[in-house]
Amino acid sequence: MLTSRAENIRLPTSLKTGEMENRRLAKQAVAFLILSVVLLGSIFFGLCAGRFSITPARALEIVFNWLFTPGLLINQIDERIILLVRIPRIILAGFAGAGLAVAGAALQAVFRNPLVSPQILGISPGAAFGGVLAIVLGWWGLALLGLSFASGLIALVFVGLLARINGRSEIITVILAGIVISALFGALVSLSQFLADPNGSLPAIVYWLMGSMASATWQKLTLAAPGLIMGTLLIMAMRFRLNILSLDDAEARSLGANPDIERWIIFLAVTIIVGSQVSVSGVIGWIGLVIPHTVRMIMGQDNRVVIPASAILGAAFLIFADTLARTMTAAEIPLGALTALVGAPVFAVLLRSHYRERMQ
Amino acid sequence: MGVRTYTFLAFSFSVLLSLPAIAEEISFTDMIGRPVTLDKPAERIASIPIPLASTIIAIDGSTKKLVGMNPLAKSAIEEGILGQIFPEAKDISSAIAGTDFIPNVEELASVNPDLVIQWGDIGDGAMAPLLNAGLKAMFVTYGTEEQGRQFMRITAKAMNKEERINPLIDWREKVQSDIQEKTDKIANDQKPRTLYLQRALTGLIAVGPGQSYMDFWIRLGGGVNAAKDITGAKPVSPEQVAQWDPEVIFLNSFEGNLTTDFIYNDPVLSMTKAAKEKRVYKMPLGGYRWDPPNQESPLTWMWVANLLQPGVFKFDLRAEMQKAYKSLYGYDLTASDIDEVLWVKMQGSSKNYAIFKAD
Amino acid sequence: MIMLSDVTVRFGSRVILDNVSLHFPKNRTTAILGPNGRGKTTLLRTLLGQQKMNSGLRHAPKIVGYVPQAVMLAHPYSALDIVVMGRAASLGLFGRPDKKEQNIALEAMARVGVAHLTDTPFLRLSGGERQLVLLARAIATGADVLILDEPAAALDLHNEMRLLDILTDISQESDKSIIFTTHNPNHALNVADDVLMMMPDGSTIHGTVNETLKTDNLTRLYGVDMQFIRLDNQAEEQSLVIPSFSLCRKCPAASVKF
Repeated sequence: MLTSRAENIRLPTSLKTGEMENRRLAKQAVAFLILSVVLLGSIFFGLCAGRFSITPARALEIVFNWLFTPGLLINQIDERIILLVRIPRIILAGFAGAGLAVAGAALQAVFRNPLVSPQILGISPGAAFGGVLAIVLGWWGLALLGLSFASGLIALVFVGLLARINGRSEIITVILAGIVISALFGALVSLSQFLADPNGSLPAIVYWLMGSMASATWQKLTLAAPGLIMGTLLIMAMRFRLNILSLDDAEARSLGANPDIERWIIFLAVTIIVGSQVSVSGVIGWIGLVIPHTVRMIMGQDNRVVIPASAILGAAFLIFADTLARTMTAAEIPLGALTALVGAPVFAVLLRSHYRERMQ
Repeated sequence: MGVRTYTFLAFSFSVLLSLPAIAEEISFTDMIGRPVTLDKPAERIASIPIPLASTIIAIDGSTKKLVGMNPLAKSAIEEGILGQIFPEAKDISSAIAGTDFIPNVEELASVNPDLVIQWGDIGDGAMAPLLNAGLKAMFVTYGTEEQGRQFMRITAKAMNKEERINPLIDWREKVQSDIQEKTDKIANDQKPRTLYLQRALTGLIAVGPGQSYMDFWIRLGGGVNAAKDITGAKPVSPEQVAQWDPEVIFLNSFEGNLTTDFIYNDPVLSMTKAAKEKRVYKMPLGGYRWDPPNQESPLTWMWVANLLQPGVFKFDLRAEMQKAYKSLYGYDLTASDIDEVLWVKMQGSSKNYAIFKAD
Repeated sequence: MIMLSDVTVRFGSRVILDNVSLHFPKNRTTAILGPNGRGKTTLLRTLLGQQKMNSGLRHAPKIVGYVPQAVMLAHPYSALDIVVMGRAASLGLFGRPDKKEQNIALEAMARVGVAHLTDTPFLRLSGGERQLVLLARAIATGADVLILDEPAAALDLHNEMRLLDILTDISQESDKSIIFTTHNPNHALNVADDVLMMMPDGSTIHGTVNETLKTDNLTRLYGVDMQFIRLDNQAEEQSLVIPSFSLCRKCPAASVKF
């Protein structure tokens, strides 16, 4: 009798689910198509807009010549501006935006908290201190990148040690340790600024901390790109695992994950991304918060979708913001300030509508 | 403007009042309008503002009256020619304040100054501690040529060395009006678009028109500021510089590693007219850095004028420098000293630079 | 098959599991009964390999299907997203489920009757639906052992029945070993083959339902007089166990037969 009742419950729905699944995939495909168009539009805008006036037709001609005529000499000023100023800047902004967005999304999954960012783990303040220290020492380029990454990593290790109690690090202790370490490295940044030469390194530090792509070159790009790409790809490869890591630790373990170790792989990837980005363009905030949230509102919570979509939208957003930063006025508007200016209100709106929907 | 006029009037008034004053008592009004009275001429002066340290040395002709200075004033002296002229300057305390101008009151008290000079426009936190500690303080402000002259004047007044400052001021006025008279006659389209880069190595920072000393000497020397779209010092992209296409570029003297090659090797900046015509020059580092106002400023103007309007100005800068250094520091500049101050080795082959070379 | 041998777990001076040896063979369903605070959850955690043992050994397959009592979700995943997560163990650190894995998840959902909920955000589901979705996930892992922590605790009567039916169904169709904790001895009576009683004195009684689920054991277990009632009006013979206090004291004794 009991079994017969159970048979009644088995609903003949397996046919319908295939259909639903297809519709879901189609919806995703359309969303990714739109995101790609937005990215392409952003790149095109970045290519054509600038203080030095070059017509879009000429800009495209220059790019096509460059792409399809190997060994082309870049002699004209407009060619140099497109190929040596705008393109490396667009690519750097794209990689940085993608990396920061993906890093934010990954941390939000691992911390089961949609409000965390690299700031929380002390990674950004750590990397910032490394960069500032390098500037004070007169180190640039690879040395700055190395110090920035190392210092971000040190901050992360401190957080790890501080949060590790009885061989386990609970989320809340990690967050608290992150706050402590952030404050510590924030203080070290202030101290370095205090000790810096106002005629020499201080203005460089202040400007660098505000965040800017103004000095982007192919050289800087080759410096930062490996880390940005590596970290982003690592998180991209673990995007399904992020779903598991976003569960309660006990549950994640029962599904075969080892959250204690896997979390730190994610943290390491985030540190590589943030360290690389910070070392070439200073502190740029908000991307990691605003972009994943926007993506989740459009495309749902599954990190298999959220991560790649965040990468595309993050790239598009930072390219767009950086283009505004270099074109709106003759002076460079600090990119970090611009992303905050755009990011904070957008985030506020998202947050309100998000929780309003949730409460219903 | 109003405040400055008022300050100036108050100053003139106090000068008039002080003329019949008995014995050696000195009183005047500083640049934020505070009356300052000294029992006797200041003999132990601590200067927290950077350029005033070398000014005090110039006014006195020695380092004897300077008992404390900003660490950055000291590094400029050590880097530049002043350290050679006054090797004893290295023993003067530079611990009296941080590079951010926050005074270290205990260190200040330990050098026992009878006058402390401090900026008057950087906030109470850097000013009040001096007064609270009972130190005799004088506040100065910064920016224009007029303000530069004023802080030199009252410093000399405090030292009772007005006989030293008056010729210096006269010299400034004379050189300035000589140059101004000629540049006034130059048609605007004959004035080269001139860009001053306050920072270059770590990201470009240009200086636009407005309250800026660099803009003052660009206009005085017969140029127009290329960075016409910005006010004050602002970060700019190489693309923006390309759009301005300056005909002359001046590089700051603050960045020690900055050379003219920075422009010539940059793929975009090297396309500017200035680079193509080899009209890129680094600001000299003499008794102090030549970019901001200081006791050597007339030399800056002559150097700039020769470079911006080579057809109009033919100052014999080497001779002028020798004269000035003799009267400022009592020092006879050698030919190689001059070459070093003017970076002849680095930029001797730049266009119009031959006039600065020894015969 | 899952097994504990000579396991001791202590919290400070308090002994929760005292030298316990247990064996849960395949194709058997076991109900764990015990009063509050006796350590049912600790036992489950030990079986899942998530509890540090003071001594003893645990033998278990790599993956154990686990249905927690409740799930705290920071990210409102869809029900299907949740069930697909069951495939994680076989996918490794960098793996992602393909069409095949997706189908395993869909089948598991169909099996517990929640196939129509695939796209619904998990947090919008009712308590009963959540339990079923979590059960589907445990099934999707393909594990030979399923462990359920108070699966019926938060359910209304209808959903409780539905869940018990599905559990029975699974246990009869597969050779999985199923272990669940419960407060209601009737769950053991209706669904389980075996019962594990965690007695208040620290001992455990483990045996088949028929031999072990007796009035005296239950009375000792809960510290309340327990009674069996045979329900005669059913086509099939069935009994029910209830605490004495829930008998109708005002009714004539004849209406129920002991």
